[in-house]
Amino acid sequence: MIKIENLEKIYRTEEVQTKALNNVSLAVKEGEFVAIMGPSGCGKSTLLNILGLLDEPDGGSFAFAGTEVAHAPERRRAELRKKHIGFVFQSFNLIEELTVAENVELPLIYLGVGATERKEKVAKVLEKMQIMHRRNHFPQQLSGGQQQRVAVARAVVNSPSLILADEPTGNLDSSNGNEVMELLTELNEAGTTIIMVTHSEHDARYAHRVIRLLDGQVVLEHAHV
Amino acid sequence: MLQHSLLLIYRNFKRFKTTFFINLVGLSVGLAGALTIYLWVHDEWSFDRYHATTGRLFQVLENQRTAEGINTKYGTAPLLAEALAEEMPEIKYAAAATPPKFFPKFLLVAKEKIVRADAKFAGKDFFHIFSYNLLQGDASQVLANKTAVVLSQEMAAALFGTAANAVGKTVEWQMGMADLKQTCIVTGVFGPIPANSTEQFDFVLSFDAFKDIMKMGESMNWAEDGPFNTFVVLHEGAEEAQFRTKISGLLQRKLTTNKERALLVQPYADKYLHGEYTNGVPSGGRIEYVQLFSAIAVFILVIACINFMNLATAKASRRLKEIGVKKTLGAGRFSLVAQYLAESVLMSFIALLIALALVELLLPQFNAITGKQLALAFKPHLVLSALGITLITGLLAGSYPAFYLSGLRPVEVLKGRLAGSVADLWTRKGLVVFQFMLSVLFIVCVWVVQRQIAFVQSKDLGYDRNGIVYFEAAGNAAQQPKTFLAELKRLPGVVNASGMWGSFVATNASGVPMEWQGRKIPVNHLGVNYDMLETLGITLKEGRNFSPQFRTDSVQIIVNEAFVASLGLQNPVGQLLENRRIVGVAKDFHYESLHEKVKPFIFRLEPLAAGTILVRLAPGREQETIGRLQRFYSAFNPGQTLTYHFLDEDYQAQYAAERRVGVLAQYFAGLAILISCLGLFGLTAFTAERRRKEIGIRKVLGASEFSIVYLLSSDLTKLVGVAILLALPVSYVVVKRWLESFEYRIALEAWYFLGAGLVAVSVAWLTIGAQAWKASRANPTLSLRDE
Ligand SMILES: Nc1ncnc2c1ncn2[C@@H]1O[C@H](COP(=O)(O)OP(=O)(O)OP(=O)(O)O)[C@@H](O)[C@H]1O
Ligand SMILES: [Mg+2]
Repeated sequence: MIKIENLEKIYRTEEVQTKALNNVSLAVKEGEFVAIMGPSGCGKSTLLNILGLLDEPDGGSFAFAGTEVAHAPERRRAELRKKHIGFVFQSFNLIEELTVAENVELPLIYLGVGATERKEKVAKVLEKMQIMHRRNHFPQQLSGGQQQRVAVARAVVNSPSLILADEPTGNLDSSNGNEVMELLTELNEAGTTIIMVTHSEHDARYAHRVIRLLDGQVVLEHAHV
Repeated sequence: MLQHSLLLIYRNFKRFKTTFFINLVGLSVGLAGALTIYLWVHDEWSFDRYHATTGRLFQVLENQRTAEGINTKYGTAPLLAEALAEEMPEIKYAAAATPPKFFPKFLLVAKEKIVRADAKFAGKDFFHIFSYNLLQGDASQVLANKTAVVLSQEMAAALFGTAANAVGKTVEWQMGMADLKQTCIVTGVFGPIPANSTEQFDFVLSFDAFKDIMKMGESMNWAEDGPFNTFVVLHEGAEEAQFRTKISGLLQRKLTTNKERALLVQPYADKYLHGEYTNGVPSGGRIEYVQLFSAIAVFILVIACINFMNLATAKASRRLKEIGVKKTLGAGRFSLVAQYLAESVLMSFIALLIALALVELLLPQFNAITGKQLALAFKPHLVLSALGITLITGLLAGSYPAFYLSGLRPVEVLKGRLAGSVADLWTRKGLVVFQFMLSVLFIVCVWVVQRQIAFVQSKDLGYDRNGIVYFEAAGNAAQQPKTFLAELKRLPGVVNASGMWGSFVATNASGVPMEWQGRKIPVNHLGVNYDMLETLGITLKEGRNFSPQFRTDSVQIIVNEAFVASLGLQNPVGQLLENRRIVGVAKDFHYESLHEKVKPFIFRLEPLAAGTILVRLAPGREQETIGRLQRFYSAFNPGQTLTYHFLDEDYQAQYAAERRVGVLAQYFAGLAILISCLGLFGLTAFTAERRRKEIGIRKVLGASEFSIVYLLSSDLTKLVGVAILLALPVSYVVVKRWLESFEYRIALEAWYFLGAGLVAVSVAWLTIGAQAWKASRANPTLSLRDE
């Protein structure tokens, strides 16, 4: 489903140039659960952002579901994002002015789904994430674990084929973290491809495969047994 | 502290170049506008205020009860001044004087020199009452004598080569139109009269001499009023209130019949700004323009300040963490407030420097529009006001961000939460609405004023003002009008010519009452020579024009339609009124400005009338004809040169004030829109800033750029819409009131208002849209990174 070759990303600021990604190549098949690990600053988030079509690489190629998208125009990338990709962040990134249900509804609005169908889908996914009783709360009124469940709900509400998670458990204690990992595993078993950035060996064990980055390069790739 | 602030300003500049630039532009333009208006207002306010007697110096006015209400006149009876000085012990000095522009220019003749000059006849203590800088002569003595003349330095120099020892020399004055002249001895010389003086004259003669000339001595009585100005100065410590009561009863005691008149006084320094009276009480005047422009200055500054606040708040959301950390480290609220205020005050002083440069650059233009001679001089009042205005601006601009941000609780700040209370939101919304209301109002005003001026230009006046030159006749031309006019008419390029007493445009002659069958109406008179109506291009409705072929038993007159209507005359032609025979009825024509209704008017045939000569020139070769005219005039009048004017210039001069307001409104409209758009720019920036993360999240979820632009701009667009809706009725009332000062005016049309709204919306939307589009294009990963 994803195939990148010789991907490069360079950040230029006034004083320094940082090569955040250097010749990264990798392929992810449909239905896979991949973990990306590596020390802080090695380029994990950068890679994930490019995979999620949020950012453009400076070099190399990127095929998403068979089509080249490395330098696709913003409109096309927005199109692909809302149809195929769900995001989960370490800091949840919920919109504070919107309620739980409204946050979850948002991707459906952008997809142009009708109001009644939106209601159904939101209810279903909130049910599944066991957060239905908090549907009319605002994000600030929820615990971290609950917020992350809402974020996951929002990521999966339009049944994307790919979920990108950047340290989804980073801000959670171990029991809440495990809960989120269970959720991701369930989704994966139902067929969703998952790519997750993590610092935790424990979490990485949920994945089929681990890719290790160092200084913008892939240094090790191994499957979990 | 200063160093710290400078450093912060410098860093902020580097970090937020656009914001810094907007702030600087907004504040500098605002300050420049405010300073310019301050200069203007101060100049207006200083009019007639420089006399040492200010506070005790009054002008006496007269209220007359008429059928339409109380009419207040600056003109008073000639014997009033002396009576006041005699009868009221609290009065130190009193003097009568002829009002400004009472006469056409006189000729002053000394040896071989002849100059034209503005004359004023004034009572003995004139130079005690007013502080016109007397360079030579003694204030008590200069006008003590009937043959005295006090010259301006300029006139003295023109007559004698130097003003140095003019005193004692002989000068003859001549009143051009009537064959009046007198030889006088120079008793004093005064320096230039300041520009901020309502009175401007070139020499002063004794009022007693004037009384002799007019033979007023014997016939004067209290039953008649007069056109003369009366000025009084009270003794120090005199009770003003008591004086006012006393003087208001004076005429009651003097008059035996017709007691419908009463005297009142006005502080002389108030005359310029508060020159209008309605129904006997002061009702404003130029002060309204002063208030209007002061309000505009304050508005502009406040708008600029609030723009600054918005941008500072927008920027601050990026500095929140820093504030939180500082507070956690124990920085007190005071030090944070001080830091912000210092920053904004410094900023406004930097803006002041730019503003001063702007003012210096724009003052010549402003002076040209307002007809003033304002200058940025190093005067204490100006320096203090500039510093004061700047300081207040800085504090005002910094106050909101300072107290708002420093008042946040550290926990919230550290969480990066800048929710913004309802009140804050309303403050900002209110501001946008206010700004755009003003902008729309200005645009409507500009539009309507322009339309009305165009209307004034194109209106058929009932006479043809183009192609007519006029001049004041003197010497032979005045003394032999028949020959002079006959020869004049024969000049090639001269279509027609005639003479009159006085002037045609804006004859501010208050009507002389005329009676017919018990009806009494005020009528404006003009004594004219043959061919005057033909020269002016006034058409007759019935009857005939003046002509030497017809002789009548009495004075021939031609009246206008308004006259016929007011008196209700049937078959006017041939009627005899107070020994005057109506020979024709002229169609109504606008001899006054279009502010006034056409009032009853009489042309009186006077075959000797030659005070002012009007000449209609053949179109296409005016300059050539004028050259010929000048040669002819000098040949007819040896030693004299012709000074001529175009009638159209007089016509245009009637609307000078309106044209000024029109042009200034244009500038201020531009300014208001510029600053308002800066405000919108700032607000959009603020919204985009505050919602940066939200925009990022929405984009991650697949929001299109268009939907982000909509998200950011819909609120502000709505506000601008509300502003326009609110502005329309306000501007309707304002322009309607302004138009009502014209008796003849344009009709208000809907598209003046809709057009103005459209302009405001378009400009606003371009500003918002551009900003929103930029925000919608930002890379979402950047906004989601920094947490
Ligand atoms: N917008 C940017 N501008 C400049 N440099 C950047 C930018 N974003 C990332 N970098 C740099 O690129 C490198 C990779 O950053 P990235 O965020 O991908 O690291 P990471 O592996 O996700 O680290 P962490 O585990 O701490 O989240 C870092 O050195 C970072 O400083
Ligand atoms: Mg990261």
